[in-house]
Order: sequence, then structure tokens, then C-alpha cells
Amino acid sequence: MEQYELAPTKTNLIRLHEDLKFATLGYELLDQKRNILVVELLGLVDQAVDFQSRMNEELQKAYATLQEAVLRMGKIRVRQITAAVNIDVDIRLSTRRVMGVTLPVVDTEFTENAPYFSPVGTTFRVDSSLESFKAVLQLMGKMAELRISVLRLANEVRKTIRKVNALEKIAIPELEETVSYIQNRLEENERDMFVLMKMVKKRLEEKKLQNITEKESGRSH
Amino acid sequence: MKYFAIGDEDTVLGFGMAGVRGRAVRDSQEAERVFGAALEDEEIGIIIITERIADMIRPVIERFVFTENFPLIVEVPDWRGPVEGRPGIRELVNSAIGISL
Repeated sequence: MEQYELAPTKTNLIRLHEDLKFATLGYELLDQKRNILVVELLGLVDQAVDFQSRMNEELQKAYATLQEAVLRMGKIRVRQITAAVNIDVDIRLSTRRVMGVTLPVVDTEFTENAPYFSPVGTTFRVDSSLESFKAVLQLMGKMAELRISVLRLANEVRKTIRKVNALEKIAIPELEETVSYIQNRLEENERDMFVLMKMVKKRLEEKKLQNITEKESGRSH
Repeated sequence: MKYFAIGDEDTVLGFGMAGVRGRAVRDSQEAERVFGAALEDEEIGIIIITERIADMIRPVIERFVFTENFPLIVEVPDWRGPVEGRPGIRELVNSAIGISL
């Protein structure tokens, strides 16, 4: 409707046709992008949920053993042992890109410098708790990668859906409407011209006929 | 790069066992300050934050998750277990894109 002030000319029609072609192409591309993103997202969501539940389970176990260790030995002692633990956790972060979205990739690596504390006077629960927390961290890297990827992908999918809808529901129909309006106007003009020509032709013929009859009547007088 | 843990005392102690540095926080102001400092530190690649602490500074975290690349932020339940009624990953995705998967 907004584009109706465009003069209904052939030039505008050609230009609009090109715009429409461009918009349709953009729509198709964005639609593909959306589909690819959704497929990627679906795969990651399942993995992320799986990793999260595994990590939570491991974490509960870790907390429980830690509580017991604290109960047996007291918080201060456990803290001392903790200070003596010499594990280096190293993570390597890199990125990968899916359809223009940057997704993180995480690798977790442990460097253990054993032994870190005397086993004398230490309950085994400290060890098992330590093992659990290490397992948690191992899962944590993957889980962080998946979770952040999922959130970013979801955000991108939402943006793409908005663009696809804007093109599909507003831009393309509007262009089509304007094109058909101009086409109709042009055809209407053509018909007008046709009728006009017919009328002019008729008039001219009538005039010719009149002239002939006038001439003939003049001759007979 | 390293992990960094923000949470209550016990959580930080636990992760400390596996060689993760961390800071225990008690209220939202403290949490915000520690979180800000952790973001500044270039050595930190992943911030582990407990759900309860994360809920205290939710707007700060939400803003961060979508925009920045690193560090990554992971929310974990603390020793009291997961907070009831939290949306899982699936729900977050559904609400973000408005369709159910």
C-alpha cells in the first residue's frame, strides 16, 4: 500500500520485479539458514541435557562425600589438605562457527603432581570426594561448551525466524501487491488507448464520409 | 586458561580440592564484585557459579551469556541440590525461539 505513490510506469515495474526477485532469494537463503541452525540446535540440546544430568549427579556425589569428610576431620583440616592438593586444571578454549554464530569448544586437561598430602590421618572420603570433583570438572568443560552453544544458537535462530517472517509476511506480499497494481494500471492504460484509437478512427471515417457526401451533393447542385 | 568458582564456602572448598581457584561470596554485592573481577582476569576461561548466587545477579549474567565470547559461565547446583522450578536447557531454548523442540 505504501508504495502506491510510485508512478505506474514500465521502468518502475521492471525495478520492482528485480526487487521481488532479490527478496525471494533472500527469503530462501534465510529459510535454509534457519533450518540448518535448528538441526544443529536439536542435536546439541539433547547432548547438553544429557551432560547436565550426568554432571549434576556427579556433583551431588561429590558434595555428599565432601560433607562426610568435613564431618570426620573438621573444616579446617580439610581446608589444609585442599591447600596441599597440587592439581593443575588447564582448559583450552577455541571457537567454531556455524552459520556466522561463534560457538566455544572446550578441552579440559589435568596435570597431577602427586602425592599431594599424607594419607596418615586422612579419611578415604577426602580421596573419593577429590575424585568426584575431578570427574565433575571433566564433565563441566563439555557441558559449558554445549550449554553456551545452545543458548547462542537459540538466540540466532530467534533472530533468523524474525527476519524470515518479516520477508515472508510483509516485504514480499507488499512487493507483489505493488507489482500487480502497476501491471493492472498499465493494462488499463493500454485498453484506454485502444478504445481511444478506435474512437478516433471512427471519427475520421465519419468525417471522410461526410466530406464525400458533401462533395457529391455540391456537384449535383 | 583456568576455571574459577564463585559460590558458597562449601562449594568453593570442594572445587578447590580439584585445583580450582575460587571465592566464596555471601550477598549480591559481593557476588557482583567478584564476578566483575573474574571477568577482568584474562587467565579465567570458565566461571563456575552456583545457581543460588547466579540468581542474585541474574541480569548481569544474562547480559553476558549472549554477547561476550569468553569466559564461559556455567551454573551448577550447590550442596543443597538444584533450585526448584528452574527452567532447564530445553525450556530455555523453547522460550527463546518460541517453538517446542
